[in-house]
Amino acid sequence: MKDAVVVRPADLPLAPPRPPLRERWARRPPGLGFLVGAGMLAVYVVAALSALVVFWSSLDQLPKKVAWVPLENPVGPSSAHPFGVMAGFGTDLFRALWQATPWDLGIVLGILAIDVFLGFFLGATAGLDEGGLVDAFVTFVSDSLGTIPTFLLAVIVFAGLLAEAPKAVSLPVFVVIFGIILWPTMARTVRERARIIAHQPYVEAARASGASFPHILLRHVMPNAVGPVLAQVPLDVAPIFFVLSAFPWYYNCQLPGGPPLPPGSPPIPYLVPSLPAFSPLPSNSFPEWGYLLGFGTCEGFSFPGGFNYWWMYLFPLLAIVGLGLALGLLCDGIERWRHFDR
Amino acid sequence: MTTPPEKLAPSPESPTGSPSSSEGPSLPDSHRLVLSSVARYALRRALLIPAQLVFVLLILYIVIDVPIALTQTPPESLATIDRGFFQMLFNIFTGNWGTAAYLKYQLPWTQLFAYYIPPSIQLAVFALPIAAVLAYPVSLLAGWSRRPGVDAPARFVTLTGALLPVFVVGTLVLNALFFSYLDYFQDVPSQGLLPADFWFFNHGGYPSWILYQFATTPTGFPLVDAVIHQAWTVAAISFTKTLIQASVVAVAYVAIFFRHARSIARSVREEVYIVGARSRGISERTLLWRHAARAVAPSFLLVFALTIPEYLGVQFAVEVAFVDQSGFGYLIFASLTTGELSPVIPLVFLIAIVVLVWALIVDLIALRLDPRGLAGR
Repeated sequence: MKDAVVVRPADLPLAPPRPPLRERWARRPPGLGFLVGAGMLAVYVVAALSALVVFWSSLDQLPKKVAWVPLENPVGPSSAHPFGVMAGFGTDLFRALWQATPWDLGIVLGILAIDVFLGFFLGATAGLDEGGLVDAFVTFVSDSLGTIPTFLLAVIVFAGLLAEAPKAVSLPVFVVIFGIILWPTMARTVRERARIIAHQPYVEAARASGASFPHILLRHVMPNAVGPVLAQVPLDVAPIFFVLSAFPWYYNCQLPGGPPLPPGSPPIPYLVPSLPAFSPLPSNSFPEWGYLLGFGTCEGFSFPGGFNYWWMYLFPLLAIVGLGLALGLLCDGIERWRHFDR
Repeated sequence: MTTPPEKLAPSPESPTGSPSSSEGPSLPDSHRLVLSSVARYALRRALLIPAQLVFVLLILYIVIDVPIALTQTPPESLATIDRGFFQMLFNIFTGNWGTAAYLKYQLPWTQLFAYYIPPSIQLAVFALPIAAVLAYPVSLLAGWSRRPGVDAPARFVTLTGALLPVFVVGTLVLNALFFSYLDYFQDVPSQGLLPADFWFFNHGGYPSWILYQFATTPTGFPLVDAVIHQAWTVAAISFTKTLIQASVVAVAYVAIFFRHARSIARSVREEVYIVGARSRGISERTLLWRHAARAVAPSFLLVFALTIPEYLGVQFAVEVAFVDQSGFGYLIFASLTTGELSPVIPLVFLIAIVVLVWALIVDLIALRLDPRGLAGR
């Protein structure tokens, strides 16, 4: 029996040693966008960590000052309250947004982690194993579930879960469900790129020299298919905050007749922040940017056109858009850095 | 077995068509059903649509109907759950979609949907051309340009646009337009694609061709029906309202479209024939608007096919922001927020049909423009 001739990596000529980080940095400096994005994200992380320290004893409850609750004499931005006061909640808006930072960062990063893990891995596998079982599964599932708008599917799944196990409706479950719902979009774009990569000469060469499927996947396909992931990540922030803000807004503002009150209660002259039944937030005074934005959009406008308390929706909006922009700049910067020499 | 004699005759273009096999004479090629690769692809996709619909319904059944059955039936009747799925499939595919119980109009869902769908279509008919007119040059120009002064602001603006929740933008537009609109039309820019109810009360009440305050006869499209009944003021108001909402939908959708489409224009810039044409001295303007604009069309269409659900999501949100009670989006938000899930399965079924068929059509148009896209499908 003949021994198979195995070409071990040790027999191959070695690649030149990697230059130290400082030299690589000098050769390919990160762009301005990358630095700005990283700086913005650092601000969010610092805010989240400091909020954990400062508000640790009551992190999930916004304090309520009764004098600030009615909409008469609204407290706008001033030196004492830089972002003004959110009526209804009766809370200083700066404090509310700060206190919400760890929650929102956790929600977004958790969802994106699940989304990227599943979408990247399954999409790359499907693209490399074109026509195989994984490919058929990924294509069919993403083509089928991709027909339903993301926010609709998320809310339907969550509303269904509410009927099945009301106790299970919580933020971690929301994060897991949303991550699972988002992956088909990611997988579809990654698959297209991986399909192209799978026919590149270097992948053919690796296959011909006997590299295993996981090796080709992890060493060749996935590092080169990062581009679609980086393009998709900032876009996937949008549906998360859409669900978190649109349904509180609709429930508080647009529902015909307003949100239902307990039987026998007198009519209230101002809006009480309330959540739809399927909301993942545990209480009506939970600090969360989307909830604050939804309620603030409703509260900030007296329809039709009587007043415009702009701070109630502008600052939550800035917090949300700022996080998305930070991720977008960061991802674009990484992508540009990867293709620096082109 | 009788075979027509003209099929037995060997045809000149098929020399192998001689009756040599034991299974009988094989047909000449000209008589065999030979489909082109595009037709085979279209057929495969069309045949896959029912399977995809059944899969979507299965997910919905697991998510919605099983929990309801678990909470409502005694445990011993759980054995019927598996039969319930086939019952639901049968009901959905035969149009037996139940009756609305919580709206003020207690009608079958099929009939209610027939009132809700035409206004949404009217909005889409306005929004899609505006979106196309905006998206095509913007994506092309920003992806084409090498100057950072064009690409970076375009990316910034569109990412911000994609991140802004549409309902906030809609509310802002609504409030910005409110008083000028009220002065000019004595009407509010919200509340559907018809004039608001107080406008009708000030102008002699509802005409007989408007049912349920928003459903119009005979076609159901508010603008068309107003023109048919020669109600020119109503038609003008309906046109303006549709235009306002459609502009918001279009701008919000372009932000989503752009992120996908920019890289396409970028890759076209490196195509060999573009580089070759540039080396021969053809001006950048001609290259961009003659060559690249034509080259990106199929890929842009594919992006459009992929982002149809996102377009629908944007339109639904805008309909809700403008308190468009005749719109599909309002129905979805109302049923989800009140926890009344009975119309959700037929609604999603309808959306899935629209998206799948629409994506297939757009895909085929893209393939007609550029058959190279067929490779690998």
